[in-house]
Amino acid sequence: MGMRGVFGEGVDRIGGEPIAAQMARKAPLRHLDPTLLIITLILAAYGALMVYSATAGRQESAGLDPSAFLNRQLFYITIGFALLLMVSFFDYRHIRSLTPVIYGISVLTLTLVLTGMGEVRNGTRGWFDLGVYDLQPAEIAKVVVILAIAAFLAERKTDLSGIDVTLVLAIAGLPSLLIFVQPDLGTMMVFVFVMLALLVVGGAKLRHFLALFGLGLVGLVVVFQANLIQDYQIERLTSFLDATPDVQSESYNQAQSLIAIGSGGVRGKGFRSPNTQTSLDFVPEQHTDFIFTAVGEQLGFLGSAALLLMFALLIWRALRIATLSKDLFGTLVACGIAAMWAFQVFLNMGMTMGIMPIAGVPLPFMSFGGSAMLANFVAVGLLLNIHMRRFLRA
Amino acid sequence: MVNSFSPMGAPPGKNPFGMDRVLLRLAVLGVLIVVAFVALFSRLWFLQVLASDDYTDLAQENRIRFVYSEPSRGRILDRNGKVIVQNRLSLAVTVDRQIVDEPSERNKTLRQLSKLLEMSTKDLRDALNDITVSPYKPVAVAYDVNMNAANTIRENGEDYPGVYVERLPVREYPQGKIAAQFLGYVGEISPEDLESSYFKGAKPAYRAGDIVGRSGLERYYDRSLRGTPSIDKVIVNSASNVIRSDRVQVGVPGNDLMLSIDARIQRIAEDALESGIQAARASYLAPWGAAVVMDPNTGQVIASASNPTFDPAILADGFSNKDQKLLEGGTPDDTIDDAMLNRVTSEGGPPGSSFKVVTAGAAIFNDIIDPYDSLDCNPTFTYGVDNQIFANWTSVDMGLMSLARSLEVSCDTYYYQLGAMMEDRWGAGNGDGTERFQDYMRKVGFDAPTGIDLPGESGGNVADKEWLDQYCDEVGGIGCEYGWLPGYTVNMSIGQGDLVVTPMQMANVYAAIVNGGKLYEPRIGMSVLRDGEEVKSIESEVSGNLGLDATTLEVMRTGLEDVVSGDEGTGGSAFAGFPLDRVQVAGKTGTAEIGETGRNFAWFVSYAPADNPEYVIAVCLYQAGHGGESAAPVARQIFEGIYNLDKETTVTLGQDESD
Repeated sequence: MGMRGVFGEGVDRIGGEPIAAQMARKAPLRHLDPTLLIITLILAAYGALMVYSATAGRQESAGLDPSAFLNRQLFYITIGFALLLMVSFFDYRHIRSLTPVIYGISVLTLTLVLTGMGEVRNGTRGWFDLGVYDLQPAEIAKVVVILAIAAFLAERKTDLSGIDVTLVLAIAGLPSLLIFVQPDLGTMMVFVFVMLALLVVGGAKLRHFLALFGLGLVGLVVVFQANLIQDYQIERLTSFLDATPDVQSESYNQAQSLIAIGSGGVRGKGFRSPNTQTSLDFVPEQHTDFIFTAVGEQLGFLGSAALLLMFALLIWRALRIATLSKDLFGTLVACGIAAMWAFQVFLNMGMTMGIMPIAGVPLPFMSFGGSAMLANFVAVGLLLNIHMRRFLRA
Repeated sequence: MVNSFSPMGAPPGKNPFGMDRVLLRLAVLGVLIVVAFVALFSRLWFLQVLASDDYTDLAQENRIRFVYSEPSRGRILDRNGKVIVQNRLSLAVTVDRQIVDEPSERNKTLRQLSKLLEMSTKDLRDALNDITVSPYKPVAVAYDVNMNAANTIRENGEDYPGVYVERLPVREYPQGKIAAQFLGYVGEISPEDLESSYFKGAKPAYRAGDIVGRSGLERYYDRSLRGTPSIDKVIVNSASNVIRSDRVQVGVPGNDLMLSIDARIQRIAEDALESGIQAARASYLAPWGAAVVMDPNTGQVIASASNPTFDPAILADGFSNKDQKLLEGGTPDDTIDDAMLNRVTSEGGPPGSSFKVVTAGAAIFNDIIDPYDSLDCNPTFTYGVDNQIFANWTSVDMGLMSLARSLEVSCDTYYYQLGAMMEDRWGAGNGDGTERFQDYMRKVGFDAPTGIDLPGESGGNVADKEWLDQYCDEVGGIGCEYGWLPGYTVNMSIGQGDLVVTPMQMANVYAAIVNGGKLYEPRIGMSVLRDGEEVKSIESEVSGNLGLDATTLEVMRTGLEDVVSGDEGTGGSAFAGFPLDRVQVAGKTGTAEIGETGRNFAWFVSYAPADNPEYVIAVCLYQAGHGGESAAPVARQIFEGIYNLDKETTVTLGQDESD
């Protein structure tokens, strides 16, 4: 063990260790990222409580079980946690090899949901009713597309050609197009952002981005010229620019959302306190896309800032894992997940606080909903997987 | 091996796949994410720390509604407790203009309602376009609709979007068509009213949409009549379902207002005035007239009649466009055809000879003459540097006469002399400029409102140099190049010229003559009642004094008595056949000519019984001949009614050629 010198202590020590000890030390479970796991569970619990506060009053006044939504969310969390364990158990390299299959299934479900099998909610045809579980393939597809792009880019070893970028565009574009048809512009925007983030990290060159930018402009013109986008969608996307909260207009959600958060003040009005925007049901879709308003109003700036801090920690863990990964695939997957969460947090919280348009994007781990919860737990599973196996040989 | 830069805490020295460049690219993503989080945090800080108070207010507005229930408005009673104004609920059809807001929609709704309510679309449209109702409140387009129509609307709500049937309180007038002008009407408070001093400081505060008095007593005593609305503070959820309701203010019905008006005498006065005007129209235009009955000992108004008049029930539901034509008085002269104008307090003219008591009072008050002095009553009086001639109304030389007789025969030259003497000493044109004659007019209440408890009272005008200069500056006209002339004062001494007085002011001065000199602020309101118990007594304040001793007033009264009962009294013919032995009437005629012939004011200001006066009556008719000819008979008719002397209900004109 005595060899010390120009090489670091760690290297020195590896050299002098018995193989068995070395193997044991490298065993995946010993390299679990407990911080990530704890943050995930805290966020999910925080979210479940908020979902409870946002739904209990309405359930009670309707004579229903006040805990119905809470129980359901806890069920989703449990399923999610089980999937997390499953995903982290198998070496992610096996998952990598399965990526084409997973991608194929995902595109298939996105196609099927557009047919009569899919259910329409709030004008979007995006759900399968599976009885005990409402599946939203677009949410699952977020993680699938990250895996698919990462798998493809990892092959290219950060040296991308124009054709490579075009193929990445195709990988992200196919599900995006299917989601655009639902229509679910918010989720589509997440795809676009995740793709761009992966291209940045995965080695696309400046000219590629310029070309993509040009392509994006052309796409926008086509979309508008061909009237592929509905007026209400434009209205939804632009109403946040209207500074005065008008409770009668399209920006009603946003106005009520701002009022809820703003009136929360520093300390908040208290969990489940009466006569609040939350308890009187003034914020539409509060338990799903507008769950942050329940935090803002009831727990105030302190609770909101704590949540923001938790998301910052979550994303920091994801980016940290990206740097620790033993291969490019792992790095890219971790990056994609970090980008997905960051973008969703920004879009969702920005929307509730009136600095981003109204786009139906859930707040990770917080919003009520099974598919997103499942996908996010799978994402954490992937991150833990990458982190645990960072010392194993390729 | 060189340690590579690792921002995320990766162990150094591992670079299996060009990690350095990947890390750099990762850093780009990291920076973007940090920027996004900083943006979120800043926004959060703004919303929850800096702007929180604003949003707290908005949250309150969201969930808290105050539900106001209008109290029932107080009644208005006459001095004997007879109900003049009360409330009833009217089945009304209202239209919400917020919902029925497109022209085509409006036309459709109006056509439907027109058919259903059997009203013309024009009337409905006029009602709908009523600007006095706030746009946020459904506007009543029809009151007292029949039950069938109401049920049709109620049962077919989807066919009548924005149309409702409501029971709205409206005013009701059990006494019928009396007292319309001074009772006033109610309506929604105007934005200007909300800012006005009367409505602003009130408790409980007035709110937009409140029904308040818009004119007359309804307005003057609104604070007593309105009551207190009950207020419920209601917390609602987003579906406007009531979560909780607290009564924060208990409603109290409005108090009743008891008037000094005697409904019986009021009706007599209005009938007499109407009858007198109709009689005068045989010979004259007689577009309007006014008569006021006052108690000289208390300052209370017993009756106040203004003609043309209207049925107050027209305005029971407030003033709306459709009411306009119903309010047309049907007088021969369109330009002064305003039935809502209270001509007792808000209209007037030169008082003619009825003013002579004021001229005499001014002269005695200023020690020009004493009450027993006599002056010549020549056919003419010559005055001024240009020897202007002022003629008496008769060319007969009536010789030396006392003050009392000068009133009886209404000698003009007697008063020209008094006017001239005052002008010589204190006139603006001839004397020291102190204008004591005009001062005295103001002392006894002219040129200023009497302060009666009615809104919109006019003060009239007393002509003097300052007024003329201002008038010529602003308006100009013939004669303005000369400025104030001494002759103006002489002319005013017989109540002519640019003197404008209201019937109320004249009644008030005569009341002072008979009550020992006290000038009252007249009152129509007498007391405020709650459940029949008096909660507030409304007293008429003494606001001034004639400044004349008992002897002077006695002499004046003698003269005024002789006007009616003396052999040569100018009011004599009007009272021919009147049982003066039972009720001794005293008074003074007045005929003021302005400009062209016929455009004169006929006055008769009187009181009875002469030895212990109970009533002062001032009557003024415009363009109706002489005072003794058309005004005095109206007063006679009223006295007959008050004292039950005659069942005859029409006025016959008298004879009078004096000024």
